[in-house]
Amino acid sequence: MLKYTVRRFLEMLLTLFIIASATFFLLEAVPGDPLLERVERLPESVAQNMYHKYGLDKPTIERYFITMKGMLKGDFGESVRMPGYDIHQLLKETLAPSARLGIQSILVGVTLGLLLGIVAAMFKGTWLDYIIVFFSVLLISVPTLIFGLLLQKYVAGEWGLFPIIGWPKGADLWFGGWKYTVLPTLSGCFSYVATYSRLLKTSMLDVINQDYVLAARAKGLSEPQIVRRHILRNAFIPIITVLPMSVAFALTGSFFIEKIYSIPGFGRYFIESVQARDLSIVLGQTVLMAAVYVAVVFLVDILYTVVDPRIRVGGKQ
Amino acid sequence: METKDQRFTIVGCENTDKEAIVRPTITYAQDAWRRLRKNPIAMGSLVVLILLAVMAIFGPTLCGQDFTAQSILNKNKLPSAEHWFGTDSLGRDLFARTCIGARVSLLVALCCTLVQIVVGSIYGGVMAYFGGKVDAFMMRVIEVLMSLPYLLVVLIVMLVLGNSIFGLLVALCVTSWCNTARAVRGVVLQLKSSEYVMAARTLGASPARIIRKHLLPNTLSILILNTATSIPNYIFQESTLSFLGMGLQPPDTSLGVLISLGQAAMEFYPTQLVFPALVLVSIVLSFNLLGDGLRDALDPKLRK
Repeated sequence: MLKYTVRRFLEMLLTLFIIASATFFLLEAVPGDPLLERVERLPESVAQNMYHKYGLDKPTIERYFITMKGMLKGDFGESVRMPGYDIHQLLKETLAPSARLGIQSILVGVTLGLLLGIVAAMFKGTWLDYIIVFFSVLLISVPTLIFGLLLQKYVAGEWGLFPIIGWPKGADLWFGGWKYTVLPTLSGCFSYVATYSRLLKTSMLDVINQDYVLAARAKGLSEPQIVRRHILRNAFIPIITVLPMSVAFALTGSFFIEKIYSIPGFGRYFIESVQARDLSIVLGQTVLMAAVYVAVVFLVDILYTVVDPRIRVGGKQ
Repeated sequence: METKDQRFTIVGCENTDKEAIVRPTITYAQDAWRRLRKNPIAMGSLVVLILLAVMAIFGPTLCGQDFTAQSILNKNKLPSAEHWFGTDSLGRDLFARTCIGARVSLLVALCCTLVQIVVGSIYGGVMAYFGGKVDAFMMRVIEVLMSLPYLLVVLIVMLVLGNSIFGLLVALCVTSWCNTARAVRGVVLQLKSSEYVMAARTLGASPARIIRKHLLPNTLSILILNTATSIPNYIFQESTLSFLGMGLQPPDTSLGVLISLGQAAMEFYPTQLVFPALVLVSIVLSFNLLGDGLRDALDPKLRK
């Protein structure tokens, strides 16, 4: 068991290293010069100093090694697009709003999705089931962008129930300014509602036909007891596999929602930085996102082998 | 005295035909199609999809308008007999543009799905077939590709290849086949060690026959499902890129381009957003509902 954990951990580090290298070379492959816009009107000597400052005067391979060495110490370099900024400062300012939005969306979306999934599976074939299925599919068929715009226009604009844009700051960063977070959370939770209600319904229908459910019914257990003790316990296994991935993705921000509601989050810097070929910021964000993702996969794998002996056998193969 | 053994009587053989199979055997595909036909939601969405496809193919010729022809006189018109969906800010016919946009979006989605399925199933099949070190290495490649942020890869490919349909296709396909490959690998691994494959091997079936008769038909349902869920995904992603300004450039158009143009005009001329968005939503909704129906029809466990 210990050997397996250590091996998986080393593999995780290797994956992260490959991802960082891939990001570096992908950005190198993009034509264009990140500094051109800033040095265009400067005298030659100043421009040269600028290139020297960011290390852009050195050949690619040398810069690769410098970057990797710096990364080991947690130093990703200064941003080209925003002078004086580096990834740590950016994270400090932007990660909290993104994480709060992600956590709220997941909490609301998954809870609602699971409840609807249970109802749809228990009343399979009735109008209630059809309505839930239809609406959960409708929710994922409308782009986030359009939903966001509609919510802004009607709920915030014409009815004036919530502010159109904005996000709580300062002391309200985590627990306050709820009225600002309602619409973004709502826009963000739809995909979770749809995904989880469908997933739970399918997996419950799989379990309902199992022999042990029949046995429980024959034993004379009441219907709620059967659902709670036998059906749900087993139907949750696929949910537990998917949930950590959702959390990992949610924490690192949703670009669209942040853009629509002007939330000072993590996601929107990413696209701007890629387009500006701002290596230090892109690299920092990529490595962070990949690290969260890989770490969650790692933890889930380890937890599984602890919880379910059947998977331990499969994992060693 | 003659004795007669009465312990046994001859029953004859006239009843043996009771065991004969009277009904014709039906294949898996026939059975799935039969069950799909009974699902009103899935059939309804199939009809809607066919109508939308017809509209995308024949729509522009039907309404007799050119999708690039501009006219200052006909700016921002509401729907009328001449312009069925109205016109946009440059006086271009919105119906023709929506049809062309739907055509491009559907084409992009179909091509990407084709690439995803072909590459994914070959990659997954090879992984599962060879196993061991090859499998571990190829899995690592997938793991790296999947943990790279999707937007990073897409943005970089689009920056390198430019805003053409080809660039869009490559950008959308680069990492999408990973999930298919993983799914195929899982199924093939499971099947490889199943009893009936072992039985076939013991009976002397060649690897080619095992692959053709046992492995392929059993991965088919996963691939069909993958297709049905991928197409709406690609349509979404295409509209995402267009919203970021990374999509196609004029005169090429797509539903995503139309929606992001319509969003700019939404306050005063909501029809310019509503029609393209409606077409997009109905395409995606129909594919999703059809996919749901297919999943039920293809799942042998739900068979009654």
